[in-house]
Amino acid sequence: MKVIKIDKNKWTKGLDTARESYQLFGPVKIKENHCFAPLKRDQQPDMTVVDTVLSPKSTVFPQTEKLMTATLDTSKPNHHLMERADTDYSPRAVIGIRPFDARAIDLVKLNFDTKDHRDPYWCDAHDATTFVGLAVNTPSQFDFSTSMDSGPFDEKGLDVLLVDMDTGYLAKILTPKGEAFMACAGFNREATAGDLQKMEELKKAAEQAITTQVETDNLREKSLLDLHQAPFWDDVAFSCINCGTCTFVCPTCWCFDIQDETKGNNTTRFRNWDSCMSPLFTLHGSGHNPRGEKTQRVRQRFMHKLKYFLDKYDQGTMCVGCGRCVKSCPVNIDIREVCNVMNAYEPQK
Amino acid sequence: MMANLLEHMGMEKDRVQFSWISSAEATKFATVAREVAQSVEALGPNTKFVKGSD
Amino acid sequence: MESYIEQIRTLAVDLLKSGKVDVVIGYRRGSVPMATVPFMARTPEQAKQLTWDSHCTLNLANYLTNRQEKIGIIAKGCDSRNIVNHIVENKINRDQLHIIGVPCKGMVNPKELQTLLDDEIISCAETGSTLTIASSQAEIKIEREDHLRNNCSLCTHRNPVIYDDLVGEAVEEPVLDDPFKDVNAIEAMDADEKWNYFDDLLDGCIRCYACRNACPLCYCPTCFVDESDPQWVGKGQNDTDIKTFHFLRAFHCAGRCTDCGACEAACPMDIHVRAFTRKLIKDSKELFGWEAGMDISKRPPLDTFAPDDPNDFIK
Repeated sequence: MKVIKIDKNKWTKGLDTARESYQLFGPVKIKENHCFAPLKRDQQPDMTVVDTVLSPKSTVFPQTEKLMTATLDTSKPNHHLMERADTDYSPRAVIGIRPFDARAIDLVKLNFDTKDHRDPYWCDAHDATTFVGLAVNTPSQFDFSTSMDSGPFDEKGLDVLLVDMDTGYLAKILTPKGEAFMACAGFNREATAGDLQKMEELKKAAEQAITTQVETDNLREKSLLDLHQAPFWDDVAFSCINCGTCTFVCPTCWCFDIQDETKGNNTTRFRNWDSCMSPLFTLHGSGHNPRGEKTQRVRQRFMHKLKYFLDKYDQGTMCVGCGRCVKSCPVNIDIREVCNVMNAYEPQK
Repeated sequence: MMANLLEHMGMEKDRVQFSWISSAEATKFATVAREVAQSVEALGPNTKFVKGSD
Repeated sequence: MESYIEQIRTLAVDLLKSGKVDVVIGYRRGSVPMATVPFMARTPEQAKQLTWDSHCTLNLANYLTNRQEKIGIIAKGCDSRNIVNHIVENKINRDQLHIIGVPCKGMVNPKELQTLLDDEIISCAETGSTLTIASSQAEIKIEREDHLRNNCSLCTHRNPVIYDDLVGEAVEEPVLDDPFKDVNAIEAMDADEKWNYFDDLLDGCIRCYACRNACPLCYCPTCFVDESDPQWVGKGQNDTDIKTFHFLRAFHCAGRCTDCGACEAACPMDIHVRAFTRKLIKDSKELFGWEAGMDISKRPPLDTFAPDDPNDFIK
């Protein structure tokens, strides 16, 4: 596997060269908080922020995404026919995505790109994107990615993994897509054996700096119904105010709602992020709501992440340990604690 | 208070008006309607709280 | 603070032991620095987890809506005013409640504390009015009073307005020279400046509705933004729809908002949503001489009619 060395004073110039062939996304400061956004011509990604408030899932799954359009103008031959929206899927690159977030995109792919169904919007965006990741040298106290089959230097889902070596970056090229991006940016100096050793040391130090251990080893064997009927959900859910913050900041929450809007003769069908925290999410047309109670919704979120997904795909939990929900939850519901409780739960006989 | 909040958010004061007119007060209705139309015309087309077609 | 905690626990344990209440709602310590968790103790043993510090930012009245049991509840000034609102609006009965009032010294703004250190805060301890915050690299001591949340620094009702037990002594209520300086500053702008101010304010809103859900006033079974037949407001990330949501949500709080700041405490994007409700608080005071949640025998001004209601706006 090829590792390239990039001087920091050549970094900006390389990105500017890449901009001619790729639309770049990266972490930028919007008011007080950092978020992933398309970079403007003269804008550089902020490579120092570890945890953007929102995850970069929006780069392939925008919060509001136009899916289809139609005209109601009966003089047009295609009137009242929904047609796929004209969306730009030219090459793009997400710069500075952190390993746990790339891992998350890999997990979400299991849902949007299955044997039977391929979500064209998500998949086309994913196919067009090169993920240029940045390893986490100093994990935050909220990071528990090493417990969740990821880690500060995890390579899953990435095309390139950058490691900040202070004066420069080491770039580990992981896929042909990654190789093409690096070539396009003009980065080609091979790293030395000494660089590689230093990188290994940084990796070890970063992994050791994550002290939170979350236990997941028993989740697979636990009975789904036992966990579903466990008595602790009322206590977990009491403080929950059912805002959607956890689901919106989560890199693996993929649920959406589809809406049509018409103005004049133009109809647009688009999808918006939705949240299992909202009662409306499951409200049936009949008026019945299978998850009408707060406890049922809170249980759904944790069961989906930590049990249903695991059972369905056998690819680990649908949590990558980024810690965003722990940090953003206004009432401090902590998925690490809930996961440990679930993992240790033994039903009363 | 709603009118005040709208004004606070940047709607022009004359764009939202309130009046109390009985069904028997035809002349008052006509006068008020004319006044409202005039003051809104003076402000020009409204661009606020109008949804674009995106 | 330490003495508050002891008293809160003793009172809660006694209430639960004697059977005067079925549960006690308060706060317990969070799992991360500068966080508390709204918590319901069902047994005297659980009541020993109750705590109090400068991070009790959410409003506990939010947890009372339509509950049936006998409830002990911890209430600082703003919580107590929202409990009054709840009683007036028939969301809970006074007879069901045993209110443990806590004279409040203001809650701090954790985001502001974070700006004082370069690295992330990993611990925060409190002795008297002093907070000690530490990152892995540095430790500093600060005074609570210097870093209050904006709503706490404008609060003139720190003592509970209704209670059955009071923890500690009542605190002195601040007198403000210019309580609505922030609102006046917006009023001084011209129409377009105002419009742009609120456009900029809402930039970043992700419509998670945390502000609404954290608000003890927002208890409608179906909120107007969730209504689908008719659908009052679009659901996408459209500026007009976002602004419509914030405008109407605020207006639904007219004459009811106690400026408890739960909305801003809950907002993940740090949006100053109180910029809307502050105007309504000022107008309630100036037009109706009204402050929300002060008296269980009075209904809010927009809920009643009086012949001398101000009506200059009607032509």
